[in-house]
Amino acid sequence: MTTSRNRLRRFAVRGVFWRQYLDWATLNMPFYTYPVLHFFMTVFFFFFAAPARRIVLAHLAIILPGSSRAMNCLRAFRTFHNYSWTISEAAIHKLLKEEFAYEIIGAAWLDRLGAAQGAIVLTAHMGNYDLGAAVFAEKFHREIRLVRAPEPDQQTAEHVSASLAKSGEGAVKVDYNTSGALLSFDLLNALRLGEIVSLQGDLVAGGLAEIRTHLLGKEVRVPNGPFVLAQVSGALIYPLFIARSGYRSYQIIVREPIAVLRSGRDRADDIAQAAEKWARVLEQLLATRWDQWFAFAPGFLFDERNP
Amino acid sequence: MNEILDRNPQFYFSLPRFIALLRGGDTRRAESNAAEAWLIGLLMYLVHYLFFAHYLPPRLGPWLTALLLIVLAFWIWLFWLLLLYLNSVIIRLLRLGGLFRTVATRRAQSILWGIFTTAMACALLKDSSWVREIGAIWLVAVAMNLASAVVLAFSNATRPSGK
Repeated sequence: MTTSRNRLRRFAVRGVFWRQYLDWATLNMPFYTYPVLHFFMTVFFFFFAAPARRIVLAHLAIILPGSSRAMNCLRAFRTFHNYSWTISEAAIHKLLKEEFAYEIIGAAWLDRLGAAQGAIVLTAHMGNYDLGAAVFAEKFHREIRLVRAPEPDQQTAEHVSASLAKSGEGAVKVDYNTSGALLSFDLLNALRLGEIVSLQGDLVAGGLAEIRTHLLGKEVRVPNGPFVLAQVSGALIYPLFIARSGYRSYQIIVREPIAVLRSGRDRADDIAQAAEKWARVLEQLLATRWDQWFAFAPGFLFDERNP
Repeated sequence: MNEILDRNPQFYFSLPRFIALLRGGDTRRAESNAAEAWLIGLLMYLVHYLFFAHYLPPRLGPWLTALLLIVLAFWIWLFWLLLLYLNSVIIRLLRLGGLFRTVATRRAQSILWGIFTTAMACALLKDSSWVREIGAIWLVAVAMNLASAVVLAFSNATRPSGK
């Protein structure tokens, strides 16, 4: 019974089957079949990934207040369609090593990040952050520690880790943010050794420590790990996003680094201020790139238990 | 502040690469052209759609016909997924026989997709006027592409300098 259930889990929306199929298809699909196949795959997942669709719809209602539900359905479809292109282009980069065009917005800050001795990249579930990490590692010849939200499926997690390692040609190391304290010390150590650590700042999962801030007029919980790490290590937080701008082309968007002060009076206040700055950056970005925010899990801007 | 690392326009198919040759552009094969991907993908989909639409029962009510045409759109998607798999099996068999061993899988797939679509386009030539036109457009495009491939093969345009 358990074995057959495990087998079926492979085919769940976030199961490993689709990841493996994507790899197989990437090696087999002529490039001109992508537009049509992506469209129909999007239709398929738009209907079958109902929980993710509901979350995207709920996010859109908050990001674009006053918009109709019908329009938001079309926008949610667009978000799914973008996601389909994004993950397939990440697979193309990983397996075929094809070239991608990219535009850097905030090049001076990216250069500072590339030269930094210990820095935190704070990103969101936006665009192609996996591809971005690989491109960054390649461009600056730097190793990067990528901390991701844990995958619900063990096989999928293994597949994603292997993919990222392959895509980054060994320069991208993947960790999963679980509630254990060991990773925090590990990351702090990495920062002190001058490494770059990339974390996601738009989801609190698995009992992680959190801090409350405001985003788009709603109270949200963001992980406080990046801010505590920045405060303790003295490293700057660089908000960085990779947005798809067209067929095989991306924008690397870097915003002004956030410094987490150590004013000595109340450390929590300093962290709260930094989290507020991060929320403003995210807010600004979501207003224009809502179609690339692939936050398919509840618990951030929209919480099913507390809508 | 902003840095753009862009590519020169490159093409996959021989005809635009031949035109690029005449215009002094880049003739190396690449899959980076969005216009090519959309144009060929949609034209190929249209040829396949019209080919299968031909087999729909002729004397049905308008609503049923409309429904079947919508279902057909999704059938073509499933057919493409099957075709992808079928081609992969054919390529494996051909490689066992010593063929296509030096050709990349996607390139071999592309050749087989071209052959299947051309066969379907030939079948469209027997149909009504506008459907025949679509078939004819595909066949003319294939012929021009093959001619361009011959020209490119005899020129040194596709070879990297020094080789």
